[in-house]
Order: sequence, then C-alpha cells, then structure tokens
Amino acid sequence: MALPAYQPADALQEGQQYLTFSAGGETFALGILHIKEIIEYSRVTRVPMMPGFIVGVLNLRGRVVPVIDLAARLGREASQVHKRSCIVIVEIDDAEDGQRRDLGLLVDGVSAVLEIPEVEPPPSFGARVRTDFIRGMGKLDEHFVVILEPACVLSVEEMAQLARLADQRPALPQLPDAR
Amino acid sequence: MNLDMALQTFLGESRELLTDLEDGLLGLSGDAAADAERINAIFRAAHTIKGSAGLFGLDAVVAFTHIVESVLDRVRAGDCTIDEALRTLLLSCRDHIAELIDACAAGAPPAALLERSAALGTQLQSRLATPAVVQAAAQQIEPRAIATTTDGHWHVSVRFGSEVLRNGMDPLAMLRYLGTLGTIEHVATLTDAVPPLAELDAERCYLGYEVTLRSNADATAIADAFEFVREDSLVRVLAPDCGSDAYLSLIRELPEADDRLGAILLAAGVLSPAELDAGLTRQRQLDTTEVPGHQPLGHILVAEQGVSPAAVNAALEQQSRARGSEHRQIRIGADKLDELIDLVGELVIASAATSLRATHSRDAELIESTQALGALVELIRDSALNLRTVPIGETFSRFRRVVHDLSRELGKDIELVLNGEDTELDKSIVERLADPLTHLVRNAIDHGIEPVEARLARGKPARGTVMLNARHDSGSIVIEVQDDGNGLDAERIAAKARERGLLRADQTPSEQDIFQLIFEPGFSTANAVTNLSGRGVGMDVVKRAIEALRGTVEMSSQAGAGTCCSIRLPLTLAIIDGFLVGVGDGTYVIPLDQMVECVELGGSQASEARRNGYINLRGRVLPLLHLHEHFAADGARERRENLVVVNHAGQQAGLVVDRLIGEFQTVIKPLGRLFAAASCFSGATILGSGAVALILDIPGLLAQSSGAGERAAA
Repeated sequence: MALPAYQPADALQEGQQYLTFSAGGETFALGILHIKEIIEYSRVTRVPMMPGFIVGVLNLRGRVVPVIDLAARLGREASQVHKRSCIVIVEIDDAEDGQRRDLGLLVDGVSAVLEIPEVEPPPSFGARVRTDFIRGMGKLDEHFVVILEPACVLSVEEMAQLARLADQRPALPQLPDAR
Repeated sequence: MNLDMALQTFLGESRELLTDLEDGLLGLSGDAAADAERINAIFRAAHTIKGSAGLFGLDAVVAFTHIVESVLDRVRAGDCTIDEALRTLLLSCRDHIAELIDACAAGAPPAALLERSAALGTQLQSRLATPAVVQAAAQQIEPRAIATTTDGHWHVSVRFGSEVLRNGMDPLAMLRYLGTLGTIEHVATLTDAVPPLAELDAERCYLGYEVTLRSNADATAIADAFEFVREDSLVRVLAPDCGSDAYLSLIRELPEADDRLGAILLAAGVLSPAELDAGLTRQRQLDTTEVPGHQPLGHILVAEQGVSPAAVNAALEQQSRARGSEHRQIRIGADKLDELIDLVGELVIASAATSLRATHSRDAELIESTQALGALVELIRDSALNLRTVPIGETFSRFRRVVHDLSRELGKDIELVLNGEDTELDKSIVERLADPLTHLVRNAIDHGIEPVEARLARGKPARGTVMLNARHDSGSIVIEVQDDGNGLDAERIAAKARERGLLRADQTPSEQDIFQLIFEPGFSTANAVTNLSGRGVGMDVVKRAIEALRGTVEMSSQAGAGTCCSIRLPLTLAIIDGFLVGVGDGTYVIPLDQMVECVELGGSQASEARRNGYINLRGRVLPLLHLHEHFAADGARERRENLVVVNHAGQQAGLVVDRLIGEFQTVIKPLGRLFAAASCFSGATILGSGAVALILDIPGLLAQSSGAGERAAA
C-alpha cells in the first residue's frame, strides 16, 4: 500500500533536493530531508471539533499520526480527496520537548524530486502565502516555486493553539427546533 | 556485569536502603519490641550501605557511615536510646549519606560535603562518648535482655555461603564478635569444601567452623552474630545441655561426613565416645523403623528439655519474619518493561485483527481457537501491566518525613495517618504523583492545620491529623489528602475570585464550585496566599499534573472541621478495556469501567429524549448528550438509537450513540500535543481493521457538555 520511502541516493545537502507537489491548485516544494515517505490516501479518522485544516488521524504501522490539509493550512479551500491525493509523511521537531514527530500532509498529488540550485529570499509582501511560511523561492526554468518552511507551516505549537480556539466555540444547542 | 552496571545497582539499592532507614527512624513508636526490630533494620541498612560502598571504594561514604553505624550499634546494644534530637540528627545523617553517595559516584565529593561529614561526625561522636556514669545508670534501669541463661557450653556450627566474601562480609570478624559474647573454647576450621588450587576462586568462601563457646548469652544473641550471612550460610546454634540427640541430628544435617564431624565434636569435648556411638546407632534405627528423614531439631531440643517450647517458637518466628521481609525481587530496567508493554499492546491489536478475520470467515474451529488465543492474550496483557504496578505505600511513607520536618519547622504537632497503602497503581503514575501530593500535604500542614492554641480553643485535640487514603473505585484509583484543620472559607474564596475577575458579580455558584476555583491559575499569587490563609498556592500546578495523568482533582471542605482533596486517577496509562460504539460513520471507544449499562431508545422515548435533553431512567433524571450532534458527525443517523449510561465520580449521564459494537481491548495511543485541546478524547486506538478510533474521555466530555448547557441557558 505504501510507496517506498524516498531515500536520498547519496549524502545530499539540505537545500539541494526538493519534493514538489500541488495543493489547492498551486505547486509547492519541501526540502527532501524532512520527508519520510509518501503514502496513498487511505482512510483518515476525523477528530471532531477540530479546525478544518486538521483532517484527522491515521494509522501508520501501529502509530497514530495526525494529518493536516496543507491547502486549508495555507488559507485555501479544504482539499477534496480524489484519486491522485497523497499523504506526505514529514518529520518535524517539536519545539517544546525537542522530540521528533511524524505528521501527515494531505496534498493533491506529488510531482517530482528536483534539484533547485538557485533559491531567492522570500518576497517581503505580495505572495499569497504568509511570509514566515516561506523558506525561499526556488527558481525553476522561468518560474518560481514556493519552498515551504516546515518549522512554521507545521508548527505544532501554533496549530495546537488554533485547535484550542476551535474547541472553545460553544457547542451547538441540542434542541431539534434550533437546527 | 561491568563495574558501571554494578555501581548503578548499588546506587539503586542504597537509595532503597536509605528509604528503609528513614522509615525505620520515623516509625519508632516507643513500643520496645517493635522498636528493637526497627532499630535492627536501621542498623542493617547502614551496615549494608557501608559494606557495599567499601566495595566501590567510596571511602568518604564508608568513613561517615561507619560513625553512624557505631552510634546505631550502641542503640542496638541498649546503651543509648533514640530521642527526638538523635532522631533528627540521624535523619540529617541519612540525607547526608544520600548526598555523599551521589557525589562520590559522580566523582570526587566536593569539599563542602566533606566538611558537613565532619560536622555531623562530631555531633555523632558526642553521642558515642556518653559519660560512663550515665551509661551505667542506664544499664541499671534497663538490664540487658541477653542475660537469661546460665553460663554454659554453646556449640555453633557455621558453613559460610560461597558469596559471603563478595558481599563484603568478613567471617573472621563474625568469629571475633562471637568472642565478645563469651569465651571461645574450641574452634575447628573445616576446609573440606576447599577445591583443588586450579579450581579455587579466591573471591569465594569455602570455609566452615565448629565453635564451642562458653557464654551466658541467649540463642538469639549468638545467632545474631551471623545475622548478615544467615541468608546464604548454614548456621546452627546448640544450647548447653541440649542432650546428645541434638548433636546427632546436627551431625546428620551438616554436609560433611558423619564420622568426621563426630571426631570434631569429640575433640571439642561436647560428646563422649560412648554417647556418640550409641546416638548414631539409635538414630539409624529410628530412621529405618519409624520416621523417614530427620526429626526436626526443634523437637529434639524440646524433647530433651534443653530449651523451653516458647523459646523455640520465638526463635522460629523471628526467623520466618526475617525471611518474609526479604522481598524476592528481580531488578530490571524500566525501558525493558516499557518495551514489553509496547509489544503486548501490538499483540493485543494483532489478536483483535485476527479474531475479526476469523469471525468474517465463519470457520467455527478458527473462531474457537482465536477466542482461546484472545483469552490468553488478555491474561498476558493483565500480567504485563501488573509488572508495572507498585503499591502506593512507598510513596505515602515518604510523607512521614515531610510531616516530621514540617511540623517541627512550624511548631505544630501533627500525626500522619496512612490508609490503603497496599493499593496498587502504575509505576509511571506513582512517579508523577509524588510532586502534586507533596504540594497538597505541605498545604494541609502549613495552612490547613491550625496552631495548637487555636485548635484547643476550638475544642479540637492539640495534635492535628493529616490523612492519606488510597482506594480503588470503579476502575480508577482515588487518593485523598485530608486534614482536620481550618477548612476552606467559601465566602472569602468567592470574594477573592470576584476581585480577580474569575467570577462575575452576579454569579452565585455552589460551594462545591467555589472550592474548584482555587485550582484556577489566578489564585496562585503571593497576595492570594496571605489573604486566603494560603490555600491555593500553586494549586493550578497540582491540577495540571493530575490532568496530565488523565485524572481529576476535587476539593471538599467543612469550615472549621477540615479539608479533603481527592484525586481520581486511571489505573494504567497503557491498555484499558473499552466498548466500541458507532456515531455517524465514526467509531469511538468508551472505557468499559466507566460504563454502567446500555439501553435501547425506543420510538417515543427517543423523541422525548430529543425534546428534553434528558430521560427518565427508572425514576431518575438522566441528562443526555447526543454524540451525533455534539461531534457534528457525517453519515446518517440510525433510526433506532442506543443509550450508553456512563458514570464518573458518582455522576451519571447518558450518551446517545448510533450503534453499539461491542467490547474491545484498547491499547491507548497518545494523540499528541496537536490535539491537546481535544478534552473529550483521552487518546486513540487502532482497531482490528487497521482504522483509528478515538477514545472518549468521559469526564472531559461531561464537563464540556455541562459547560455548553450553561452557555445555552444563559
């Protein structure tokens, strides 16, 4: 079911090879050293009362891994799951306890592993993505691709904060005539 | 075993011994018989630490502990009694030994520690050099219990265990000590067990001794000379005039050939050749005609009227007690245990998946065998989890020290009462419970119990009581910290809460709700401490620690009569029995031990339930929570819904679910920090199908829905 994990062929420096994928109709890139594996979309268990960008949890060989809808996290519309949908398993450092955690990213499809030799600094404004989410702009032929900064996009701290706000919304009244 | 590992073992052991030492000191009650036992235990602990520290060359520890041991030895001998001052001194010595061991194990101890050694040493020395007059007086008042039997020839046979030398014991020292009890008249050294030189292990002890001792000490005192080697050595003490049969049975009991021992006894002059011959012949006859095997030594002793039956019983009792207190234990690393529990967790999941497949296959034999397998897995799970449980008593007894120190510090007279120390719970919970409990106990002593004058004025006994209770209650463990002090002042707490904006002016919560306010972070400021008779110092920290263990904490109090803080915790953090229910197209787990019953909601009842938000369950109002709506679940609602009645801390509620699926052994997987806000889920688990199901946190869910209810009503 799971595709084989991408193994860097030889000792590659971070910043040289990137995985590109599409989310919300745009292409993004993520440094390959953060990526553990790419799996097909399989059943994700929804966690009620969580903000929209948290899709739910997934069983990854006996471990419970949260799955984030990348498009929704970047402020786009929630992804629709279709045949090419993938879950990219990334490893992130939890800033608070210093432990490494796995996190699934729901994307519309993965494209390629590319070498991006030229990386420009992020524009100070104008990008449709929060500036602190951008590590840099990778130059591909004639156009640029947004290279995401996983420490910010996937900050457990910030996402947990958002989840807390979502959870504190008053629950819906339970009377039938109220709905 | 390399030296590092051995050192770790030593550190672990000495920590335990120091705890024993502390327990012993704090447990001294003034009851002479019980105290003698405790003093022995204290002495043993100090002695063992000294011995083991010597093995590792921790000289600073050895030197200091030696002084402590000398003082304890005098206490043991009855030359000196443990009064309050000495107890406090010994307690600080205990702490100092602990520091010394840690420092020495890490490298060279810092000079400050050694200075402290010297200072404490001087104080101890002053105890050693009690003026002779006082000593003599003390001896006159309390004659030593030893002098009971008349002077006579005792016979002592010892076969030292092979590990004696390695355990840091010196056989020669024991013989010398024996010499202090009387006069050693004859010693025969038995070298029969010594192997040829090529096979000889210089660290093993192969020696045995036959000693004739002229002494007026009693059997226990003589046997006590070998106290530290009793476990693995063979020690027999024969009383004077115990008759020839006793010697004969001894001869048969000892490993060496009968004739050789006979010769030794002859040489020692305890038996005449005729007696020996006659005895051996008689015993052979006994063996063949009457009883196979030996007559117990005790019977012979009594039959020959060498000793009174009471004395034998006492000796036997002491022996069995000494053996009973030595817990048979294996030390293993906590990580190995965790690994095992993880694997058992995987096993449980795999077994659930197998039984699901088996059920689908409709193969009766396969189903049967997977059921048998499942039952075994359940047993394995229970015993694996059991490995990690420890009685709470160990944690409780450390509070003796806290209470002792604090009550001295504050000049209050406080007694600590422990109940339910045998209650077992997961070790990982116990470890994380120590801090919050300490906090609560300190609070109870500091702010709960009033000064003596105030207590007397209120007509309470001068001595305050702090109680620690533990008990099991419907799948959770309840721990209470109770005091008979001041109690909480609901009025003042409410006033303070309004001042701090935790409570609106128009809100008038119940007393119970007011007490819960002290767990709010806003109450933990220094200002609140003084104004509120101190209650609430860092209580939010306590609450957070307990909640991190999936527990709850509650306060109850009666003004002027006392306060009780009860903590409710799950039994384990790893695996629970769960009940699967379906809500929409999702599956959820309800902890089985919090479930009371399942009820089908029929047509009219269902609409009533939907209209009112509660139903009448056998004459009682049962509040309902419709999970389908609460979770905004996808999927159609079932026509016939089901009601699961859950119970938490005496409060019942009904959860309306779409489907009942069945029992399921649930391995709890943490949801991680991302879902820290999801208070209605305590974790997740993996179903047989491979899908993830969320575990409902009943207290969280109930709190959430009652909060929502209040908001809706407002």
